[in-house]
Amino acid sequence: MKCAHEGNVLRAAAEDRWSEALRGHVGECADCAAAAAAAPWMSSFARMSDREHRLPDPSIVWLKAQLMQGVADVARISRPITIAQLMAYFAVAAGWAALLTWKWHAVQAWLHSFTPTGLVQNAARSESLSISFLTIVFVLASTTVMLALHTILAEE
Amino acid sequence: MFAADLTLPAVYAKGDDSRSRTGSPKPMDEARFEAFYRRTAGSLWSYLFRLTGNEAAADDLLQKTFFRFLRANPAVASEEHLRSWIFRTATNLAFDHFRETKRERIKLEERVRDAVTVLEPRDAMRHDMMRTFAQLKPRERALLWLAHVEEADHEDIGEALGVKTGSVKVLLFRARKRLGELLTKKGLAP
Repeated sequence: MKCAHEGNVLRAAAEDRWSEALRGHVGECADCAAAAAAAPWMSSFARMSDREHRLPDPSIVWLKAQLMQGVADVARISRPITIAQLMAYFAVAAGWAALLTWKWHAVQAWLHSFTPTGLVQNAARSESLSISFLTIVFVLASTTVMLALHTILAEE
Repeated sequence: MFAADLTLPAVYAKGDDSRSRTGSPKPMDEARFEAFYRRTAGSLWSYLFRLTGNEAAADDLLQKTFFRFLRANPAVASEEHLRSWIFRTATNLAFDHFRETKRERIKLEERVRDAVTVLEPRDAMRHDMMRTFAQLKPRERALLWLAHVEEADHEDIGEALGVKTGSVKVLLFRARKRLGELLTKKGLAP
């Protein structure tokens, strides 16, 4: 706790008006002695004029605060949508990764079939990817396109 | 000066016009805010300017403080509570500012120190005082300003600076000693 006389010491030091009792106390109390030593300078430092500086207008501060509040509200309300969007990105990416891992050999063979040699061999064997695989690819591709469109349109 | 309970939002202690029909505290309207701003912004700006030594930074921090103040929906008991909340928030923001701009600040201080400028006697004195104060650590500056100019008690200073009330006495003593040493070095000690 601060010394009970500190307030009086600060005032006396700032105004240079000392009573004998207070002067005696400063001689005994190290805290008050330090306070008395710093007080005159701090007092003139505080009196240093700041008037030439123009403070920001309160109505501008109010308006900016309202705008910032609006932006913060929009961010708060749209947070669930943002989270759902992120989850959708993750689900689509995971779906593609799982599909490619699962059917990597079939995809490789299918891609290989587009080379001139592959086209000839494929024509002879009439081998292709299964309907279920193509359906999954179609669903994933559609979801990816829809997600991409949603992202672009939402940004606009 | 500062009061102990600084939690926002709290309710107005008195005055039924401060409450809405549903009984919840009314947020501050523009007229009330403007009146409060006009009463406090000057002293808060002075504090921030002495703390940062930079008018633009003081402006920026002042606005940030009032943005936070309005966002906190400040329907509180008394002017004292509002004022102490404002000073505490401003101090936190100023310290964040020091952390973010530490490197730039050192460069700026070097430039100010090395600058050769011709100033009016009044401006030269002002400049000299600012330079002396800038040699103290940010926390020492805040301690001295809050204790000497805002006349805050140790409990409130502790809350504003995030230190224990018991430590304020020691920290303030050291800050005063350090200022005394600087003034002695400049031949300005009483």
